[in-house]
Amino acid sequence: MIVEFRCISKAFGAVKANDSVSLSVPEASIQAIVGENGAGKSTLMKILSGYLCPDSGQILLDGKAVRINSPACALRLGIGMLHQDPLDFSPLTVLDNFILGSPSRFVPNRRKALEDLAGLAGRLGFSLSPDARIDALTVGERQQLEILRLLWLGAKVLILDEPTTGISLPQKEKLFVALKTLAAEGMSIFFVSHKLEDVESLCGKAAVLRQGILAGTMEQPFDSKELVRMMFGKDLGPATRSCRENGKPQPCFNLEVKNASMDGTRFRMKGIGLQVQAGEVIGLAGMEGSGQELFLGACGGLVPTSGGAICLGNAGKAMTGRTYHDFQGSGVGYLPAARLEKGLVPGLNLAEHYVLANRMPGFFIDRDKALDLADSRIAAFNIKGGPESPAESLSGGNQQRLLLSLLPDNLSLILIEHPTRGLDVESTIYVWAKLKERCAQGASIIFISSDLDEILQYSDRVMVFFAGNVTPPLDAESLNVQRLGELIGGKGWEALQGKKEAHQENKELEHA
Amino acid sequence: MKSIRIFFLLTLILVASSGLFAQGAPKAAGSNLTIGLLMVGPYNDHGWSQANYEGMQYVIAKVPGTKLVYIDKVNPADRPGTTASQLGESLVAQGARFVAFTSDDMTDEAIKFAQAHPEIFVIMTSGDQQWKEGKAYKPLANMINIMGRMEYGKMIAGVAAAMTTKTGQIGYLGPLINDETRRLASSVYLGARYAWVNYLKKDPAQLKFRVTWIGYWFNIPGVTSDPTQVVDEFFNSGCDVVISGIDTTEAVTEASKYHSQGKDVWAIPYDYTKAMDEGKSVSLGVPYFNWGPAYVKAAKDAMAGTWQSHFEWNDPDWKNINNVDTSAVGFKKGVLTVNASQTVDKFVKELAGGLNLWKGPLNLQDGTQYLAAGKAATDLQIWYLPQLLQGMTGQSVSK
Amino acid sequence: MHESRPVRMLFGSGSIVFALLLTSLVLLATGTNPVAAYSNILQGAFGSADVAANVIVSWVPLMLVTSGLLVTFTVGLWNIGIEGQITLGAIFTVWAERELANAGLPPGLVIALAMLAGAAGGALWAMLAGVLKAFGGVNEIFGGLGLNFVATALNLWLIFGPWKRPGIASMSGTLPFDPSLWMPTITPQSRLAIIPVIIALVGIVFVFILLKGSYFGLQLKAVGKNPRAAYILGIPTWQRMMTAFALCGAFAGLAGGVQVTAVYHRLIPSISSGYGYSGLLVAMLANYSAIASVPVALFFAALNVGSIQLPIVLKLDSSLAGVIQGFLVLFVLLGNGIRTRIFGRQDSHGARPARSKRSKSGRQCEGDDHE
Repeated sequence: MIVEFRCISKAFGAVKANDSVSLSVPEASIQAIVGENGAGKSTLMKILSGYLCPDSGQILLDGKAVRINSPACALRLGIGMLHQDPLDFSPLTVLDNFILGSPSRFVPNRRKALEDLAGLAGRLGFSLSPDARIDALTVGERQQLEILRLLWLGAKVLILDEPTTGISLPQKEKLFVALKTLAAEGMSIFFVSHKLEDVESLCGKAAVLRQGILAGTMEQPFDSKELVRMMFGKDLGPATRSCRENGKPQPCFNLEVKNASMDGTRFRMKGIGLQVQAGEVIGLAGMEGSGQELFLGACGGLVPTSGGAICLGNAGKAMTGRTYHDFQGSGVGYLPAARLEKGLVPGLNLAEHYVLANRMPGFFIDRDKALDLADSRIAAFNIKGGPESPAESLSGGNQQRLLLSLLPDNLSLILIEHPTRGLDVESTIYVWAKLKERCAQGASIIFISSDLDEILQYSDRVMVFFAGNVTPPLDAESLNVQRLGELIGGKGWEALQGKKEAHQENKELEHA
Repeated sequence: MKSIRIFFLLTLILVASSGLFAQGAPKAAGSNLTIGLLMVGPYNDHGWSQANYEGMQYVIAKVPGTKLVYIDKVNPADRPGTTASQLGESLVAQGARFVAFTSDDMTDEAIKFAQAHPEIFVIMTSGDQQWKEGKAYKPLANMINIMGRMEYGKMIAGVAAAMTTKTGQIGYLGPLINDETRRLASSVYLGARYAWVNYLKKDPAQLKFRVTWIGYWFNIPGVTSDPTQVVDEFFNSGCDVVISGIDTTEAVTEASKYHSQGKDVWAIPYDYTKAMDEGKSVSLGVPYFNWGPAYVKAAKDAMAGTWQSHFEWNDPDWKNINNVDTSAVGFKKGVLTVNASQTVDKFVKELAGGLNLWKGPLNLQDGTQYLAAGKAATDLQIWYLPQLLQGMTGQSVSK
Repeated sequence: MHESRPVRMLFGSGSIVFALLLTSLVLLATGTNPVAAYSNILQGAFGSADVAANVIVSWVPLMLVTSGLLVTFTVGLWNIGIEGQITLGAIFTVWAERELANAGLPPGLVIALAMLAGAAGGALWAMLAGVLKAFGGVNEIFGGLGLNFVATALNLWLIFGPWKRPGIASMSGTLPFDPSLWMPTITPQSRLAIIPVIIALVGIVFVFILLKGSYFGLQLKAVGKNPRAAYILGIPTWQRMMTAFALCGAFAGLAGGVQVTAVYHRLIPSISSGYGYSGLLVAMLANYSAIASVPVALFFAALNVGSIQLPIVLKLDSSLAGVIQGFLVLFVLLGNGIRTRIFGRQDSHGARPARSKRSKSGRQCEGDDHE
């Protein structure tokens, strides 16, 4: 189906999210929509998929002007949208979920649906068990299911919003193969991303949005530099390779995990040991739900340990069994991945967040002081927003900056889930610059990321998680994307086994 | 200064004299009287409240110059946040000079009201506050208590039940436990046992009489036991006659349901002449109050200035217990067998002739003696019956 | 993004107009003149000093309950158990008055102590719901409903059992207290006592300040909007919920105490008089604003008292007041919904409890906290 945007405009208050965007996408193509956070990519796609109505402008499908009032209406017209976070968390099975959206049927034909599901999945090379429960699926598998469902419902236009965040490398490869198959069959695919390498390897054309305006389009082969220039209106310097410039390990430990074990819902992890030096960055890699979240949580008292010990500081203050708030009191900070769900309070403004994070003496809030504090923090962290802006009005990157700015000073250990997920290049660089400042001040960082480059680039040491198994901390320099990818996928662990007992000196592992 | 002193003196005299006046009955109302009526349930509940409502309608019809304003569902569950005295005042605001509080529930509020409004005639139906010998005596010149001797109606109901039951098991659907409900349940038992022993010539030990209290005069979901379920339980556990002591007609409704399924069960409703309408094919009869005559008398007294605070506990008219103009309590027969019907008539005649079932030897439920052999109960002993009688199953006091 | 003040007022008044319109239709359907009905309600609520005093009498417990509910709403809790908390407040007040009646203390002191006991009783009962939620994983709505039943049962048991009046147990409640233990009224004939009015006013001002300007209030807000994030920000979430429960319960207990000392002067079966549920409606209708809740509560009280005229004068069921109240809340919520659709989410001063995935994760959070 040919999709054409004509002069689409959409404003939220004073902010023009889309400003007279015109774009035509032919059949059988994969169109990238790129741009930094808040550039208007999601708005444009939400207009196409019926979640938002444009203030002005038209959408034409195969040359005919259409009005898309709701997601259901979009689906009837053949437009299906895949969200950044797949929405289904319900305890349904794959098949139930698949059938759920089927239109105007009171009694679903399960047998027919089962056949269709198997057929579609086979064609795209997805392997999903129809009886598996949704909440047991990985993000990537849920994505696959959602694609199958949309196809089954007759989608001819597929919109994918940041589909490669949070899924594993093999899943990404599978996804790309499937998308290419679908495009070859005549489908029009919108691929929203800020990851240029993904765009380069998948898309035929790219449209760049900047501050709501279509800044330009480009066809294969892409000129990365030019794309970045279009996205930001300026050149960006290359990201720093590693933050371990200071080199010399300091003789000061911020965290020691001794033979710890944790119980997950699907597995039990045990015998984990880790000593983290001041200034050190530990990356936790693995497919989502492989145990790294449990481990990170345990380091901050958010997840109970079922054995072993967790000690903080050089003195080895025993923290086993204490609450997160105790950890907080001992200089531990935590930044969750789901910013609006777990990190920030929607409905409260920035000033209120600062007041909550920095308790001042007295029963009443000193409004002037609070505003001063907010102003200074907002300036220091270069946040696009005012003290009175609600947290949810910030873009993803600015929300992450806000979270960072809420961390108290003098932290000895910072635990972060996906520090740059969904952030554009500029924000990513900024966030890591701020984190490295902390390291320079003597803090240690443990972070989870599904971005292997990020893991390798910023970590001193890396722990890989696979289905509850953990590698000893591996020196990042001994790893590359290939090796890391294998470990994440469960390959090459045998080589580690023999040395696990005496792993404390992880230098050995360089040979593995 | 002097004027202030005089003012004080005057005030003192006024207060004192108003206190004196308060001792006397209200001034005669004259030829026009607006009557205020407060009912605990809906005015059309086919039970207690409706009986009172029709009693007042009878007054309006019989006494020229009277007018009625009323409010029903006077209970804090239906009218949250209100008090009966406040509602009484609303009726006074509508012109009422004569206010009837018609439920035991309203006692305290009626007293408050009577004290705050000495110029208003107050009836506290079913109360004992103006009974000099009574335990709750609280003299108020503007209040009278009216009650009918329902004990007779209940005894007749007991006879009807005993003459009908095939299983020998009778269930009594009781409201809440107090002196009144204990003596009424016991009256039914006395009547049933009398028929069982004297007419049927059976062993009194073979008569099973079970009382289950729901907790209030009518069903309040979540607060009381559900009377429908209580009745079901009776029928499912062997009782074939259920006698209702509550203000609403669940017993009859349920019996009809069982009857239509082919079961031989019966019920006896309470309070109101037409309470059998809900299930004519299963109602053995109904003991009812006829408030009209007593209310007429009270209204006339108020108008004529012959009002005197007192307590009355009115007998049926033994010449004809169903005489609307004279009998305070009646019993209307329902689907009785010919034999049972004749027996009921015979029993009424015996009562009229002086038969007293409240006569020793009678023991209380726990076995202690209530009345020595040959000794008849006094009104006080009956009114303040401390327990159910021996032979009855069920709770005697609220736990 | 932000709609103007006139728009909000338009929606507010629109809701009222719609509610009255629909109620009028109901009235017309039953063959009643709506104007007569409304004028009777007005007359019945403000027609004389006496009835106006009755409105205030009804306003006091409603205001107290609403004040407490504003706190629990802020922290994201649906304190349905409020009815039980009023009842327990009343029970504790009665208990204290019974215990202290013959202790030789000045009556004023006895009343004050009894009211304090009532507040404590309500708070304890509320904290029970909190404990069930925090440690038993029982949603406060179900816990509250359950505790309401228990409170009613306990109340009935006391009235018909240990505290029954001499001789008989009666639905009309326990034996009234000696008039010296009644909250003094402004005149001997009046039902209106001034001290409860002052307590209610102080209460709502206290809640207003607490929620508007205190750290505690802000923390409650944060927990209400996102317990998970609040926990991460270092706020002890379940302790805050517990405190909110206790505060709300104390207010409810005071309302129960007022019912005992100033209205009924004894314990009656339905001592809570449905004020708890009304309070929930008042808080919702006032859009969880402390200032707006004062007139809204007054309006509800006026409807309650004024509607008594309907059965007396027009032979109408007085539950019409409930119909109006219900329609109002419905239309205001509907209006808010439509406004949100048109103007986008508006969370300026809403302490709308988030009943979603969020609160579920919040509970998990508490779990983490004390495991």
